[in-house]
Parts: sequence; C-alpha cells; structure tokens
Amino acid sequence: MAASIVATPLASRASSGLWRDAWGRLLRNRPALLGLVFIAIFVLTAVLAPVIAPYDPGALYPPPPGASSGATGPYPPRSEHLMGQDLQGRDELTRVLYGARISLLVGLGSVIIGVLLGGLMGALAGGAGGRVDNVLMRVVDALLAVPGILLAIGIVAWLDRGLPQITLAVAVTNAPIFARLLRGGLLAVREVDYVVAARSVGASRARLLLRHMLPNAITPIIVAATLALATAIIDIAGLGFLGLGPPDPRTPEWGTMLTDSTKFLREAPYLIFFPGLAIVIAAVGFNLLGDGLRESIDPRLKK
Amino acid sequence: MTKFIVRRLLATIPVLFGLSIILFAFIHFIPGDPATAILGQHATAVRIAEMRTYLGLDRPLPEQYLKYVAGLFEGDFGTSFVNGQAVLTEFLRKFPATVELTVAAMIFAAGVGIPLGRFAARHVQRWPDGGVTIISLLGISIPVFVLGLTLQYIFAVQLHWLPASSRFEARSALELQTNFVLIDAWLMPGWSIDQKVGAFIDGVRHLILPAIALGSIPLAIITRITRASVIDVSNEDYVRTARAKGLTEKRIDGRHIMRNAWLPVVTVIGLQVGGLLAGAVITETVFAWNGVGRWVVDAIGDRDYFIVQSTILMFALIFLVVNLLVDIGYAFLNPRIRYA
Amino acid sequence: MALLSVDGLIVRFRTHEGTIHAVNGVSFELDEGEMLGVVGESGCGKSVTSLALMRLLPKPAGRIEGGAVRFDGQDLLACSEAEMREIRGRDMAMIFQDPMSSLNPVLTVEEQMVETIRAHRPVGAAEARKRAIELLGMVGMPEPETRLGAFPHQFSGGMRQRVMIAMALALAPKLLIADEPTTALDVTIQAQVLELLRRLTADSGTAAILITHDLGVVAGMTQRINVMYAGFIVEAATTADLFARPGHPYTVGLLHSIPRVDALEGEELIPIEGTPPDQRRAPVGCPFAPRCAWRLPVCWETNPTLEPLLAGEAVVTTGPAATHRSACHNRPTMAEATAGRPLRDGFVPAPAPGSEADELTTVARP
Repeated sequence: MAASIVATPLASRASSGLWRDAWGRLLRNRPALLGLVFIAIFVLTAVLAPVIAPYDPGALYPPPPGASSGATGPYPPRSEHLMGQDLQGRDELTRVLYGARISLLVGLGSVIIGVLLGGLMGALAGGAGGRVDNVLMRVVDALLAVPGILLAIGIVAWLDRGLPQITLAVAVTNAPIFARLLRGGLLAVREVDYVVAARSVGASRARLLLRHMLPNAITPIIVAATLALATAIIDIAGLGFLGLGPPDPRTPEWGTMLTDSTKFLREAPYLIFFPGLAIVIAAVGFNLLGDGLRESIDPRLKK
Repeated sequence: MTKFIVRRLLATIPVLFGLSIILFAFIHFIPGDPATAILGQHATAVRIAEMRTYLGLDRPLPEQYLKYVAGLFEGDFGTSFVNGQAVLTEFLRKFPATVELTVAAMIFAAGVGIPLGRFAARHVQRWPDGGVTIISLLGISIPVFVLGLTLQYIFAVQLHWLPASSRFEARSALELQTNFVLIDAWLMPGWSIDQKVGAFIDGVRHLILPAIALGSIPLAIITRITRASVIDVSNEDYVRTARAKGLTEKRIDGRHIMRNAWLPVVTVIGLQVGGLLAGAVITETVFAWNGVGRWVVDAIGDRDYFIVQSTILMFALIFLVVNLLVDIGYAFLNPRIRYA
Repeated sequence: MALLSVDGLIVRFRTHEGTIHAVNGVSFELDEGEMLGVVGESGCGKSVTSLALMRLLPKPAGRIEGGAVRFDGQDLLACSEAEMREIRGRDMAMIFQDPMSSLNPVLTVEEQMVETIRAHRPVGAAEARKRAIELLGMVGMPEPETRLGAFPHQFSGGMRQRVMIAMALALAPKLLIADEPTTALDVTIQAQVLELLRRLTADSGTAAILITHDLGVVAGMTQRINVMYAGFIVEAATTADLFARPGHPYTVGLLHSIPRVDALEGEELIPIEGTPPDQRRAPVGCPFAPRCAWRLPVCWETNPTLEPLLAGEAVVTTGPAATHRSACHNRPTMAEATAGRPLRDGFVPAPAPGSEADELTTVARP
C-alpha cells in the first residue's frame, strides 16, 4: 500500500508564509509538474469522455471487412477503431476513455471515504484517549495485519462484486493510514496546548498556535491522500482484473477489461497495452505529485 | 532484550483477538443471510435450514464465536463447499507454491533493490540517481498484473526466452512431494543427475517472470528506502569522524555507513512480505500458478467462504509473525535497544 | 618553520539558495607544541576553517576557493585524497562537538579505536587492543579493559569525549584540532575535559587548535588566540595580551558580555547589539560595522586588514612573542576597552551610507 508517511510538525512559521513557500517550491519541482500534467490528462479525459469518445462504450460494432464470419473479435487497431475492438466487438478507445471516469470516481470516492472513516477513527482515538484510543488503535492494527489488497478482496468477497463494493473495500484498506495520521497530529496539538496552559498564556496565543498546528497537521494528510489515490487506482484495477468489478460487461473499468486477457495475449496484445498504459499514466501522475508535495512541504535541509 | 520480546509478544495478542473477531464476523455477518449467500439463490428451504444449523447460526452469538475460536485451535478451519475437503489441509498443500514464488520475488526485490539504492546514494542528484528514481517510480506505478502480462508478452510470446505460465513444463514427469518444485526436482527417485538438474532449471525458468512481476513493488520500495537511509547515514557526524580518522572510503562505506543504514531497510523488507503475500493473489492468476492465491480467487467465484476466510486469517497470521521477527531482529541489530 | 601555515584561505559553500562566503582570506601560523585558540560566534567560520584544513568540507557544496595551506612541509591543498587519508588520524586529528553523534552507535569502543590504529599502523588486533586499553587509561577511564566492549550510548557525555580524545591521540599526531569539545558537556565536566586536553597535549608536545565561542574556555588553556568574525580574523594576540588590552570592538564586546564573578556590583552586562551578518553576499567594508559602537564612515567602505597595534612593528606570527594585531580602523583605547564602550566626547558611530535610521546610534550615546 502507500509508503508510510510520518507527520512531523514543523518549527513555528506564519501559516501564510508556509503555504506560499511550499507552493513556490512545488512549482519549481519539475517531476511534480510532470505529475500534474499526467493528472490533468487523466482528469480531463474522465470529464470530457462523452465529448471526445468516438463511440458508445457498451455498444458492439461490426468487424473489419474481410474478417472470418461468425467470429466476434478481438480486432486490431484500424482507422475506425484506433485502439482496436475487444472480444465482443466493442470499441477499445471509447472504453479506455470512459474508463478514466470510473477510475477517477471510484478512486476519489475510496480515498475520500477512507480519509473520513480513518480520520474519524483517529480523531476519536486522539481526542478521547484512554480506553477508546486503545480499542480503536487495536482495530486499526487488526486491519493492518491483513496485508494490502487481500483486505480489499476479503471485503468484496463479503459484499459481493461491484463498483460501490470496490470503493468501500479500498476505502477500508487505506483508512488505517489516515487514522494514524490524524491521531498523531492531534496528540501533537494536545502537547502544545498543555505547554501553553502551563505557561499561562492568553487565549489569543492559543488560537494562533492552533492556526499554526492545524495547517501543519493537514499537510501530511494531503500528501498521504494524493499517494493513496495512486494506490487506489492500481488496487481498483487489480480487483477488476480478478473479476470482482462491475458485473455488467458493458461497464468500461480498466482492470476488468484485462480479466482473462491471458487467453488473448498472443492475438490481441493491444487490448492489454492501452488500458494498462492508461492505469500507469494515472498512477504515475499521482505518485509524482504526492512525492513533490511531500518534498515541497518538508524540504530537506541537507542535500 | 528479553523484556522487549515479551512485551512485543504480548502486544500481538490484542491484535490476534481483533483479527479473530473480524474474521468471525466475515462469515456470520454476511449481508443478507449467510446460508443463502453460500448456497446461492436457488437453494431449497430445507438445505438453507441445514446450512444454518451447520454454521451454528441459531446459537447465541458468543457461543458461535467461542466455537469458531476453539475450532481454530484444533486446526478446524472449515471445509470447502465445493469439494468437501478440509480447508487447512488444502491450504497447507498448496501453500509451498506460494512460498516459492514469494521467496523468489523477495530475493529479486532485495537482491536488486539494495545495490540499486546504494548506487543511487553514491551518485546523489546526478544522472544515475535520476535513472534509479524513475525505475522506482515505475515499480510502484505499474500494477502487478499489467507488468506480468507485459513480461509474458515480451519474453514468452515474442522472444520465447522464458515460459509464459505454470510452475514447470506440463510434459515433465515431475511428481510433487513437498510441493516445492525446486526441492522436488532433487527428490525424484530413479532420476539421473542430468534429469534432476534439468527439472531444477526448468523450475527456475518458470519462476523468473512471476518473481519479477510480483517483486516489482517491493523492489521499488526497497530501493527508495535504501537510498534514503544511505544518504541520511552518510550525513551523520560519526561518518565525518571516520573520515577524520583517515579510514578508507571502502571501510567507511562498509562498516560505518552500511551497518547503520541496514536497520530501516531490514524493517521495510519485513513489511514487504505482507505486500508480497497480497500480490501473490494477482500474480498467481496471471501466471496460472497453482498456489494459494489462485485458490482464493477461485473460491470467491465459487462462494466458498470458508476458504476465503481462512486464507485471509493465515496470511494475516504469517504477516504478524514476520513483523514480530523483524521487530525482534531490529532490536537485536541495534545496540541501543539490545543493551538499553 | 611553522608546523602549520595557512595563507589567505577562502572557503565558499555553493547551495541552491546562493553562495555562502564562510571563510574570507584567513591567514595564521602554528608552531609545534603551541596551542592556539580560535574564538567567535556561530557561523564566523572557525569550524569551517579547520574542516578545510583537514579537507573534510561537506561535498559538493563546500569548496576551498583560494589560499594555501602548508602542514609539516607539505602543501595540503595539492595532496591527493589518498595522501590526505594517511595524514588524517596519523599526523593531524580532530575531535568534534557532540561525542554522542560523533561516535558510531553500532560499533563498540574497542572496534572504533582499533580501526583507527590499524588504519595507519601494520599491527595485529591484539596489539591494537592493548594500545587501546593504554589510551583509555591515559584519558582517565576507569576499568578500561571492561569498558572496551561497551557501546557509545552506554557512556556519559564526559566519558564519550574522553574516548574521542583517546582515539584522536592514538597515533600521536602532530596537530590536534578540537572543535568546541566541551560545548555539549555539563559545566562541571567541561573543566575536567579541558584540563585533560591541556595536560595531554603539553605532555606529548602536540600542537593544538582549540575552537570555541566561549572566551572563558581559552583563558587558561591557550598561548595565543585568533578572534574570528564573519569569516575574517579580526584580532590575533597572545592570550595574555588579548585579555589585558583587546584591540578590536568585537573582542571588547565579547569580554563584556561574559558575566564575571569579580565584576563590580551594579555593573551592567553590555551585549553586542544586532545579529551576525548574512554571509550570502561578499562583504563590503568591515563586516562588524553594523554592530560596532566605534565605527567611522570609512568602516562602511573599506575592510580593514590585520595590522599590528603598534604601527610599523615587525610581525611575529607564532610563539610567546607574537605580535598583537587587529583589523580595525578605529581601535578602542585601553580605557574604552575596560569600560566596554567609546568614551570620546560627542562621538557618534557613523550611520550606514544612505538608507534607514540606525537604531544603534541611540544605544551608543553616553
């Protein structure tokens, strides 16, 4: 799953200066900019799919002239179907373009739900402390004991296959990360509050510290969420590949398009290449951006 | 040190407890009626009632849970609905195949990843470092099945250098005893040395592509952490002291830098075992590998829930044990903890 | 011939944010057996100078961009890395500020000491071990034989520093550089470690450079002192001369910001106003000008060079007869040095050319 991220509260700096500095550093980070470009391609494709796609993603289309009668596909790329046609004769290009919608929606959905779920758990644990903290963190540990995609597979097996189920499954898989982050951030804030109280400082100072600490606590979550999005896109495709995706074969989910592809690896490698490439571009984009964000927010002083 | 081990063992117990509850809930709280879910929509009422009794669904909840846990300790992990075989026995029979694959993938990931990370650290911010970073990025961005299929296409279908799937040639007369192909090759009675070596190499050849595909993500992560660790340690004061004493770069690198840089790398390798177990599910599907991963995927399709539940439990247990060993190993390697 | 001769050393750091002018033309000499103190605040270049001497500057940022260094007849800047490796540890050794982070946490004391010895001498492990025990005894470690197998974190701070000293003196180097050796230690331990250093270097005739920000540390230890500021040496004198008659406003400031037991009651501590300069720009004029209570208009324009206090006096760079020199256009008088501020009627420190109102003018008015 996503590489572990440690939340380190930075030395006190005015929060507006922190953002401006980080933004400036991010813009100068070339790999991160490349990531943004990839993400832009991904998002624009998802949004504009109905506009730019030549055909309908679920419809069947006639084979090329001269194909043996009775066979249904797959057919290699030609001018009418730039990425070829799949086993049933659907247009691959359209399906890849529409697939971006699904990946984006399910990916975003799973990360947002994961942040909310995990954040809630972490906030409760960090805020309440004591037994509540203990119990919640044991739950988190138990969830983390089931490695990676296996947990998602288990959940989808439990709930039955389908896109909403995949969304929930991947969300539960990445929730523990956010639970730990939020709990850690809250614990740090509590310590600062304690010190402030001990020094008998007025309320306004405390509010200022919150305004410092809160941005510092949010930024690791933003970084983690970006990287989690990359993993989510890959995991979703993985689940689809295993046959746990949407039951309706007309739904163009990238991973599902590759199920059973070992059978036609020899005849139709293009059916694997194009959706595969799409997944990689999206994942690379979010990984680059996430790494860039992490570097620009916490610049290494020794280089 | 012993105090540390004991504390660490004790910390595992609540996690095991939580895990057992989650997995218990897995069968007994399937949305809808578990019995119907298992038997399918077309089951008769009689069969459903029988299933419910079999699952113990009409007993009070705590009793069900205790029965489940007791069963675990006796080795009863349920039976498969498809063929009636005991799940645990079947799991143990198929598991070595997954182990072989996982070990091969880990050897690849660490064997390539650690030197690559050190190499990148030696040339920080210059071209070689950039190249390694790209490899690392691709490693975590290319899904295992995409990489696996691509490797199959290039090396098996097009170049014919390596086999596309399975653990050994179909027409081989190899019989599986331990279910470790690389061991069973040597155990064949009546085979000449040539035949044994041939079967061994055949097994290795079949391992290469799946191991690379499965190991790609751990490779990326191990490379990254090695690079970061070596860079961090290189900037430490004691490395400066070592230089001030006039030691050779080789000695500084080996004794001072690597001895300290190993520590986080070892921890990460332990964590990656979990990732490998999980990734095995996908890799075995792509390469028609007859291990536990593929078994689970089939079981999901067959609604054979006991298999799914037990496999998850076993994998989680293995992961926990590995983590425990890694923590203890780390404490052993780090004198600050060993001689606290 | 001096053991060590540094001439016009220039060290710069090239970073993403610009170039840092760490050392700007430092020249000094050191005889065999002499102990030289280098005093200054953080960032003045004192540590960087010694790292440059050992060619241990952090790569690739740190670069020696000018000057010459001769040690024991050899041109250190022209040496190959292999030759430097032989010199380090064997002829020239260094101990650092924080002994906890300066010792490898995963190796025992024995391993770290033995490797130092065997790196430069073809001795067996057993013999090296014997020598290590000898050395630990020399630095006052109780039960050295048993302590050899321990790890650095199992020692107290003072003991760790003794280990570092033992390692540094293992091969009887000609020069020992001690970079803030006591700063990280408790005050009570500081005196012990300093006394150990003084005794050992005196007994073995090892020359030493003692770097510190604390004038109190060098007072009883060194024969001569260089005061550094912003990468320049601003005053050089024998220890006695420096304390008796400081010849630079910065030195005066340093002396007056130390609380002294024998100070008169009610006498104020006079802090040096302002903050150290931003060394990202090459200095124009005297680097101390913005904080100097004695400054003249010329101080803003020309950087004074290091000149003898008595004009025309011949320059002796080493030994008890070393010439007292300072780099200042307007040296404090004896009385002003004692008082800690200028005592001239109507004297106002020259304001900065052009620009903002100078807050220091209000402070300096009597």
